[in-house]
Amino acid sequence: MAQTADVANQLTQLNSARNLVLGDAALYPQIVNGILPIVGANSRLELRRWGMEFMAETFSSPVLATAQKEQLAPNILQTIQEILVLPESDTAVLGSLVQTAASLYPLVFRHIVNHPEDKKSWETMNAIKQDILRRMDSFPCPVKICCVKFLQRVVQVQTPGLISDPRRPEQNETSLAIVPRTHSVLAIPYLEAEASGLLDRLLDVFQEETSDPLLVNATLNCLAPLIRTRQSIANKIINAVVDFFPAKHVSPPITPATRVSVKSMERTARALLINIMKKNQNHPLFGRMQMYIERLMQSRLEVVDDVSRKRGLPSEPTDGLDSAKRARLDAETPPLLKIPPMAPGPASIDKLFTLTQDIGLSSFDVKQLPPDLVVKIAVPLLAQVNPTLLTQAVDAVRTRYQTITREQTLKRQQQHAAAADEDDDYEPEYDPMDVADNTSEQASAIAAEVADLQPDLVSLGPFVLPQPSPLSEEEAAEVGRSAVARVFSMINAAETDPSLAKGKTQQQLGFARLAGSTFDRDAWAVLLSRLATRAPAGLEGGGKVDSRRPTISDSIRQTLYRYILEDFRGRLNIAITWLSEEWYNDRVQMKAAATQRDQSDEEDDQEPVVPLHYDEWVVKLFHGFTTYLDGRDIKVLVRFLSEIPEVTLAILQMVAGLAKDPERVNLCVQALMYLTMFRPPAREMCLNTLEDVYQTYEESRPAAGKVLAKWRPQKQPAEANGTAESTPAPPQEAQASTAQ
Amino acid sequence: MAYDPRRVNTGSTTPQTPPPPPPPPPESASDMAATDTGAKDPLDSWKLKFCTVCASNNNRSMEAHLRLSAAAAAFPVISFGTGSLVRLPGPTITQPNVYSFNTISYNQMWEELHGKDERLYRSNGILNMLDRNRNLKWGPERFQDWVPGMPRVDHVSKGDKGALGTEAGVVDVIITCEERCWDAVVDDLMNKGNTLNRPVHVFNVDIKDNHEEALVGGNAILDLANSLNEAAVEQRTLHGPGGWENGTGAARQSFDERVPEILADWQAKNPNLPALWTLAWL
Repeated sequence: MAQTADVANQLTQLNSARNLVLGDAALYPQIVNGILPIVGANSRLELRRWGMEFMAETFSSPVLATAQKEQLAPNILQTIQEILVLPESDTAVLGSLVQTAASLYPLVFRHIVNHPEDKKSWETMNAIKQDILRRMDSFPCPVKICCVKFLQRVVQVQTPGLISDPRRPEQNETSLAIVPRTHSVLAIPYLEAEASGLLDRLLDVFQEETSDPLLVNATLNCLAPLIRTRQSIANKIINAVVDFFPAKHVSPPITPATRVSVKSMERTARALLINIMKKNQNHPLFGRMQMYIERLMQSRLEVVDDVSRKRGLPSEPTDGLDSAKRARLDAETPPLLKIPPMAPGPASIDKLFTLTQDIGLSSFDVKQLPPDLVVKIAVPLLAQVNPTLLTQAVDAVRTRYQTITREQTLKRQQQHAAAADEDDDYEPEYDPMDVADNTSEQASAIAAEVADLQPDLVSLGPFVLPQPSPLSEEEAAEVGRSAVARVFSMINAAETDPSLAKGKTQQQLGFARLAGSTFDRDAWAVLLSRLATRAPAGLEGGGKVDSRRPTISDSIRQTLYRYILEDFRGRLNIAITWLSEEWYNDRVQMKAAATQRDQSDEEDDQEPVVPLHYDEWVVKLFHGFTTYLDGRDIKVLVRFLSEIPEVTLAILQMVAGLAKDPERVNLCVQALMYLTMFRPPAREMCLNTLEDVYQTYEESRPAAGKVLAKWRPQKQPAEANGTAESTPAPPQEAQASTAQ
Repeated sequence: MAYDPRRVNTGSTTPQTPPPPPPPPPESASDMAATDTGAKDPLDSWKLKFCTVCASNNNRSMEAHLRLSAAAAAFPVISFGTGSLVRLPGPTITQPNVYSFNTISYNQMWEELHGKDERLYRSNGILNMLDRNRNLKWGPERFQDWVPGMPRVDHVSKGDKGALGTEAGVVDVIITCEERCWDAVVDDLMNKGNTLNRPVHVFNVDIKDNHEEALVGGNAILDLANSLNEAAVEQRTLHGPGGWENGTGAARQSFDERVPEILADWQAKNPNLPALWTLAWL
């Protein structure tokens, strides 16, 4: 029927028919049955290709109902079998054919479950299956890939699946579970055993010595539905995947293509496991899969990086001294330079570089020639220099130089050894004088030695490093700031470093701990706060620098402030450390200023000014995080208020301000109550504030009333206002400092 | 951008198998007439079918879509995004313009942004990009909502560029533009259950999401597509009966087997676009 000229014509007709069914799925039965004879085993290759591809498309189409596919299936089985036994050799036809068979298999299986009498269809299907499985290994690669999917389909069908609703069999997925035990054609034990064997064959791909990335990827990518829907074999499959390490399954010559393959297998295996893990967080093999993924990442790095890091042959001899190590790239040997041993006597630069034995040449003073003449001679000469000769000459000089240095270090070591011998029998008792003597002796010995070695080595004049240009103030500040930034980065590093077990050791140390003895976050924080407070005390801002340029200490404070606010709940202890340091520093400064004033009495009219930082920063910090406090943060607030070294009126007023927010009324009252109970120096101030709160905010009445009833049974609203304003800070401060 | 002439071309050389049958049914008669005088060798017109994927189906995948559909070979191509929503840059980084997939057309987006702030969206290239896109197809589609094998005949009649040949809703090669998208595609294909039993090569070509990189990446993707297609066509010619015996050595290797090498060669040429590949199932 197929004359050459007609083929193209026929194909266009077929294509328009295909377009019809793509537009309207209802036409499928009619068209499929009409097309089958045209594209059968006896037709031309082009038609067979078209036909099988169309069949593959038809039986996998999501728009064609399963029932209709089931009806069409028996008709096409015959054609498939005929084409298969041709024997077909075209890759495209075979590929589509196997795809079609994979789609047909569950359909026919289901058909037989419901119609045991249609034995013939099952026999044909079985014959096709056996034929495909038998020839699978000899098929060309693209067909083999399709066979992988066919295998997967057969395994999926012949393994018991989930029965979602026993009352509605038509809704259950096609699997061994829907076969009645007494089925006349389908023998469950046999099918199950066959599936198990086929599964092994499917997973065999992971055991191969040298993996074919196509087959491995094809397998990995089709396992997800099996694992998801077939409980009984899921673990076996996962175990097979987890034991597979692509990097171990490649044969030596690692080409870029191999690298692509290994990477793709690793990523696909990872994708499969992640897909499973996402679906089932409680999977019994979850841990194993996770470990596998991690190991995969690691081995990935090793293999890929190893290969890329492995150095090729050095482009030039790295060690020019060892000619044995050099690869002999050329048969042609370069002329050998005859190198005389270095002239005896103390080494000097000109001896080191003199390679010629001609006395006239070696004693010639080039300085006698005018420079332009030297240039005229040297440039054309340099252009003509034989590179191998030059290398040899340079190597020769290098060898000489190394011999000299080696000899000299040897000499020096011997002298050292001699000096050490003397030290050997010194008394174990510690005598500072003795040590000082020894060191000075050694120092003078070394100096002497250097002195007599130096002219020996190379006669160079003394070299003095030029003084660096003095840093400007801005530069110094900049450098200071960058140092501070580095310490901050240490805090962050210590924070993220899990190896530093927090807690135990540190807590045991308690007060006995030295600030900065352990290199953890707290130590760095202490270091920083001291940098900010004590280090520049008296140096910065002594009243005369009025330009508002931020000083180092202020920039540290600013950074600390921001750092704490980033996570004030977690970094509260840093805040407290810092504020305590500030407070302590203020005290020390005031004391120093006081003694200074006493000494100088009235000689200087200039009053020493002590810049106080604590008050400013405690308010700033507290203000910074009160905005973020919510009703449950009582612990944070109480801890802050109780541990800062000094509670001031400004702070209490801000605490009182919390009561504006009805949600935080309790927070405010509880904090004040706590301070009243446990911070006796601040008690009066707190009670005054509490009264204020009581009178200003109605919501606080029930809670605040109770506290006031206990602590201030005689309410004196008039007095409260007066004292709150006039409570002097100093006595309270003094008491607070003793409480410290 | 002269697309129509090319469409007529591909229409007239469509005798072979699945890819390019005549556009919508009503036109088929006239196309058939054209085919009679057309190519005698049906293999000439066989082409790989492509699918390009990025996050929003707007910049990178659409640039590649344009390149592949406008190439000399005029590849059949469809395109998708894997993100949850279509996100386009807005006035600030925290105010993106967000649209949902499958329900809004490029034209609507263009008109909305044109109305909002023409100067801004003109200068950051968004209007330009949307203008290109609305000339290519109707609107952004989400990969996860794609049902492989679902006929896309209507896309042909709508005049989507590259739609010819993709009527059956299947592709041979998927090219993603970001590793995240590759992961999403491979994962989603596993979730879809591989019901079609049809192998598909999934590539990733890592392209940064900006206009310049998209241009460079689009070029590189076209280059990859050409190499792949060449190998696939070669297999089809050689692996016919008789052809198999004639071929030797590398030529005997099938298209699929050559994919890792093709990618490795391509990678050597494009070291700045890290690539990834797997063989998955539709």
